[in-house]
Amino acid sequence: MTTFPRVLSIASLLVAWLILAWIFPPTIVPGPIPVFKAMGQNIMSGQAFYHLYKTLLRVGLGLVLTMVLGVAVGTIMGLSHKGELFLDSWVMVGLTVPAIVYSIVCLLWFGLNEAAAIIAIGTAAFPAVSISIWQGIKAMDMQLVSMGQAFHLSKTAIIRKIIFPQLLPHILASMRYALGICWKICTTVELIGMSSGVGFQLNYWFGLFSMAQVFAWTLLFLLVMFAIEYLIFKPVEQRLTRWRSGVPALQWAQ
Amino acid sequence: MALRSSCTAVGAITLTNVTKEFSLPNGQRLRVLENVSFEAPDRSFTSILGPSGCGKSTILNLIAHLDNHSSGTISVGGDRVGFVFQQPRLLNWRTVADNVTLPLEGRDLESKALRALAEKYLELVGLGGYQSYYPLQLSGGMQQRVAIARALAIDPDVLLMDEPFSGLDEITARKLRQQLTRIWQETGKTILFVTHNISEAVLLSQQILIVSAKPATIFKRMSVNLPYPREYGDLKLFELETQLTRDFLGMEEETTRSTKGT
Repeated sequence: MTTFPRVLSIASLLVAWLILAWIFPPTIVPGPIPVFKAMGQNIMSGQAFYHLYKTLLRVGLGLVLTMVLGVAVGTIMGLSHKGELFLDSWVMVGLTVPAIVYSIVCLLWFGLNEAAAIIAIGTAAFPAVSISIWQGIKAMDMQLVSMGQAFHLSKTAIIRKIIFPQLLPHILASMRYALGICWKICTTVELIGMSSGVGFQLNYWFGLFSMAQVFAWTLLFLLVMFAIEYLIFKPVEQRLTRWRSGVPALQWAQ
Repeated sequence: MALRSSCTAVGAITLTNVTKEFSLPNGQRLRVLENVSFEAPDRSFTSILGPSGCGKSTILNLIAHLDNHSSGTISVGGDRVGFVFQQPRLLNWRTVADNVTLPLEGRDLESKALRALAEKYLELVGLGGYQSYYPLQLSGGMQQRVAIARALAIDPDVLLMDEPFSGLDEITARKLRQQLTRIWQETGKTILFVTHNISEAVLLSQQILIVSAKPATIFKRMSVNLPYPREYGDLKLFELETQLTRDFLGMEEETTRSTKGT
């Protein structure tokens, strides 16, 4: 039942594309055929894999940095009142500064290299994660913690079995959100300062006024993101949150 | 001043002149418990009956080491204390069986032994066959029974229950009270049961301690020498309930008068 609306949504996107391509000339909105042709060429030449790999590597490492910084700062803010007062304004500044500023500053400070790209991604995306973790800690059910204490659970057991599982949904949700931000910042950095990656390709083909290639690269990345969402995030989330569903679990601890 | 010991007879709880004060932010000290003394014999069922917010739960928290008392002596005949809270306080992401064995996981037990224990205690509370369910798939009454199974699974020396049925509808609560009497008789645990429900206290207990409010102190001690199982609507229970209600109202009046006097 859930597949039908999804199929319908993708089909309607394709129809909208076809209509737009029919109205506008191919230099503005190219149709699916030239776009898929361009994508095919990129894949056959190996270009697609090389640049996609570069971008995914930067996004992946940037995401790791984002999550480490975000979870650390969010945890400090959630646990310590002084920490909250101290870091609150930092996070607000971090959220307000446009992502492109991080990109420019990092490229100027660290040079046109991988480290600059990863640092730019990490610093731009982590405030959103911090806020989510901070809220998660504030929303934690402390009565469960006192239950653990009443039953003489050790400190590590309380953290591992009672606190962490309550934070996990927040970590997962913020990670998903952060992935989207990381990808956007990554393309910006690649566009202004890198000689590889999807952002670089977009800039290159923009210079040549090839709308079909711009569309092809965007579409390729979209497909990869969809794959990550449906092959990694959704199944993991479903597994971790199956206790919320009304269906009895499979046989216990076989 | 504050002493703890565990050298008395196993299962018994003895409090002698226990006082508890909290420090308020303005530097004043708020006394919540004053000279609380009582004894719960081994294998007995004792209720602490008092108005809401009078500090009855504090007594349980002190016995369970969740808080420290200011002066007096608390002695519990054993280290293992089972606790059932007003809310089930289950870990919703764990199955029912994994909730029951949560307090046992620190011990060196095989998973097979854990599973057997979970099965045994779920059977005892009438939830055999629900091992693989998640708490949110169960009703409130069933969740509270899981919480009771969890408290029993550690084979406690004493079982502390903090208004465990006050969050349930009356029909479910009645069923659970009957079950609790049976479980108590089958396991022979010493139970200390906090409640503000007079008929509940009369139905369940051998000994009732009436606690006055602010600061909490034992106002009256009463024995209920009626055989189990007790039935709802029993005239003798009703008589006791009426008498207790009168005592309760008398106590409220007295405390109001004394507060006005000072």
